[in-house]
Amino acid sequence: MTEVAIQRDVLFDNDAAAAANRARFRAAGTYVLNLMSGPGSGKTTLLERTAERLRGRVRLGVIVGDIQTRRDADRIGRHGVAVHQVNTGGGCHLDARMVAAALDVMDPADFDVLIVENVGNLVCPAEFDLGEHDKAMILSVTEGADKPAKYPLMFHESRLMILGKVDLLPYVDFDPDAAVADARALNPALAVLRLSSKTGEGLDDWADWLLQRMRQFRDGR
Amino acid sequence: MHEVAVAQRIVEALVDTAGRHGGGRVRIARLDLGALTCVDPESLTFAFDVGCRGTCAEGCRLEITRLPLVLRCFACGDEGPRDGPVDPCPRCKAIGGEVRQGRELRLTTLELDEASQAEGVA
Repeated sequence: MTEVAIQRDVLFDNDAAAAANRARFRAAGTYVLNLMSGPGSGKTTLLERTAERLRGRVRLGVIVGDIQTRRDADRIGRHGVAVHQVNTGGGCHLDARMVAAALDVMDPADFDVLIVENVGNLVCPAEFDLGEHDKAMILSVTEGADKPAKYPLMFHESRLMILGKVDLLPYVDFDPDAAVADARALNPALAVLRLSSKTGEGLDDWADWLLQRMRQFRDGR
Repeated sequence: MHEVAVAQRIVEALVDTAGRHGGGRVRIARLDLGALTCVDPESLTFAFDVGCRGTCAEGCRLEITRLPLVLRCFACGDEGPRDGPVDPCPRCKAIGGEVRQGRELRLTTLELDEASQAEGVA
C-alpha cells in the first residue's frame, strides 16, 4: 500500500464556494447576515418585524432555508420584501453552494442588506460558512440558559446574540445573566440584545445594529 | 447531525485523490476530528461506509483521531486541554479562552493500493 498525505479540510469545497459568494457580495456592495437559531425561537417573526421597520430605509432581501415548505417565505413576503425559499430536502443546514444557487434568483446588486435565515437548528448551521459578513443568532428564553455551554459552536461563531421572547421572562426559569456570561466566555466580543417581536422591545436596537453593520461594511469595502 | 453530507465530501476527496495517484483503491482514510465540531464519529462512520459503496473506496476503513478541545485562557494565557468550552481554567479559574484546537475536520493521510493490484481486485 502507498501512503498519501493530503491534509485537506473536509469542508474545503464549501469554504471555496463561500469565498466566491463573499466576493460577489463585496462587488455588489451588499451586506449579508446569516441568521441562525434553534427551531421555533422566532427567526421568521423577527424578520417580519424587520421588514416592516426597514421598509423605505434600505433595500432588504431575505433568503430562507427550511427542510420543507415555503411557509416562511410566504410569511415574510407579505411584508413587501423580496424573499426566496431554499428547501434543503432533509439537510440540517444551508451550505455555500445552496446560497450560490439562490443568488441566481436573488441578485445581490438589488439589495443593500441580504439576510439568510438558516434552517432552524442550534448545531449544524454554525459549521458552514456561507460567505456572509456576520453571523447572528437568537436564543429565546424558553430554550434555557444552559444552551451556550451545551451547544457552544454557534455562540462561538456569532457576532450578535439576540435574547428572544423576553416578554416571557416572568413565566420561565431563564437566567439572562448566566446565559450571557457563558456565551461571552466562549466569545468575549459577542454583542447581546434583548428583544421581543411581540411587544417590540429591542426592535429599534436590532435595526440600529443591522444598519450600523451595513455602514461599517460599506466604509471598509 | 450532518454526518451524511460530511461523509459524501470525504468520499469525493478520496475518489479525487485516488484518481490523481494512479486510480488504485483506497484502503484506509485518516481523519482528524476536533471535539468542537458538530460531527458524531459513529454516525460519520456509518454514513461513510454507505457512501463508499460502488466507488474505489468501497470497504475503506475510516480511522478517526479525536482531537480534544484546547483553550488558551483569556485571563492568564494558560493553554491546555479542557473537557468543555466553559470549564474554568485549571490555573486561574477564569472561564473562557481562545480555541486553539477542536474545530478540525481534516483528512490527513490515505492508504492506497497500487493501481495494478486494484485491477486484480476489480
